[in-house]
Amino acid sequence: MRLQRALGLLPLALLLLAWHLAVQAKVYPPVLLPPIAKVLAVFVDDLPTVVDHALSSIGRVIAGISCSFAVAVPLGLMIGRYRWLDLLTDWSIQIFRSVPPISLIPLAILFLGIGDKPAISLIFLSGLWPLLINTIFGVRGIERTLIKVARAARAAEFLVMKDIILPAALPAIFTGLRLAVGAGWLTVVTAEMIAVKSGLGYMILNAQLTFRSDLIIAGIIVIGAIGLLADQLVRLARSYVCRWQEGLTASPE
Amino acid sequence: MNRFIECAGVGKIYPVKTESVEALRGIDFTCDSGDFVCLLGRSGCGKSTLLQLVAGLEEPTAGNIAVAGKTLDGPSPAAAIVFQDHGLFPWMTVRKNVEFNMKARGVAAGERTATAAQFIEMTGLTGFGDRYPHELSGGMRQRVGIARALTTGPRALLMDEPFGALDAQTRGKLQDELLSIWEKQRTTVLFVTHSIDEALLLADRILVFTPRPGRIAADIKVDLPRPRAPQSEAFSALARELRGLIGADRDFD
Ligand SMILES: Nc1ncnc2c1ncn2[C@@H]1O[C@H](COP(=O)(O)OP(=O)(O)O)[C@@H](O)[C@H]1O
Ligand SMILES: [Mg+2]
Repeated sequence: MRLQRALGLLPLALLLLAWHLAVQAKVYPPVLLPPIAKVLAVFVDDLPTVVDHALSSIGRVIAGISCSFAVAVPLGLMIGRYRWLDLLTDWSIQIFRSVPPISLIPLAILFLGIGDKPAISLIFLSGLWPLLINTIFGVRGIERTLIKVARAARAAEFLVMKDIILPAALPAIFTGLRLAVGAGWLTVVTAEMIAVKSGLGYMILNAQLTFRSDLIIAGIIVIGAIGLLADQLVRLARSYVCRWQEGLTASPE
Repeated sequence: MNRFIECAGVGKIYPVKTESVEALRGIDFTCDSGDFVCLLGRSGCGKSTLLQLVAGLEEPTAGNIAVAGKTLDGPSPAAAIVFQDHGLFPWMTVRKNVEFNMKARGVAAGERTATAAQFIEMTGLTGFGDRYPHELSGGMRQRVGIARALTTGPRALLMDEPFGALDAQTRGKLQDELLSIWEKQRTTVLFVTHSIDEALLLADRILVFTPRPGRIAADIKVDLPRPRAPQSEAFSALARELRGLIGADRDFD
């Protein structure tokens, strides 16, 4: 089992090897393709810079996705529950969700200027749709008998929402959250290249201007690592919150 | 009190896209307080529909239904329902599931806990209060559903093939337990089944349904003393009669 898992590291090792060989063979000059050791040195010499920028990016994603969550989950629960709200919003959701948030950067800058505001707004939008759609989907998937049990017990609407609809939709909401965090992370890096003057996106774009390809590569590694970590964190939270689901689904993803 | 459940000229037509389905036509019956009445018939003859109507979960398209002297307008507080697929909330422990109907009525938390403990014990679930439904056997889940229904002291217990999905041995055990609970609580029971033996084991009275549209073909009194022996002459004679009424080719148990 452990050996099988290690198999997944093989492509990464090959990539490192290829990089090393390319450096040795001087395929590109060292300014463009730095040796591995030089990239690692970034994590020592420029650590404060990298950490600062990483924290700015993370903070923006947390702020943006929290807003998405606060809007999408209650709204999704209601759209899933009330047919008239579904009819009212269905078209709009289908249309707006196919607009890539990144394409809104020019508008965001026009209206909100440069800084946190446009970046967080775009992250909010990137997370909104996957969360909204998955929440609605989760509500739709609820077993009809459970709603009947609640109605037969003459449960008030608020109790039905809180004790039945919300928990029933939680697994789907977490699926939405994973997608939202992933989308938010993509958006933050892109937005920072254009609309903000801090964060990992800004850092690597800036490094390009000063020919610091070691910093660019280090930045990319950090971006990948944080993205992976965030995804794992959401999965962990899901398996804790939805622990009642164990054994109900064939495989826990 | 007499005439605890009253159906007068009840009909139900389900609107379906192309042609509507007439599930019930001209259902007239009354059922006295404390009676154990079985609704017997093949699948598709409207037994579940009638139970949902009496539960106030569906509205009749013709006629009138009254429970406890009041014409139905939604679920009656005097009734509780148990479903074949048990209708337990998978995200709630056994205890929380049993407490749900009380919570829906605004019973205080302390009293809920005490009453739930009492019915958990009565249904033989002591020690399983903190388990989730997926950790229980089919028979135990059904017990939880029954415990939950009993907590509000319903004067009518509506059961839709509650033991239909269980193995013969578990079913026999739960039938005995249900009878002993009924003898203690003296609630009115409407019990849907497609099994002749089950109806004969349990009921004071059997309403035999025939399909297309669903109608009551016969109203049979069962005057056998309890506990009933399926091997006895009187039992077999009644079983034969019922088999003829239903129009079964063989015993379709
Ligand atoms: N919600 C529904 N919509 C449309 N048709 C239904 C619905 N529920 C039941 N029916 C139809 O009504 C008839 C009676 O169904 P049901 O009451 O479930 O019978 P039983 O419980 O005796 O098997 C069947 O033909 C069934 O297909
Ligand atoms: Mg049925």
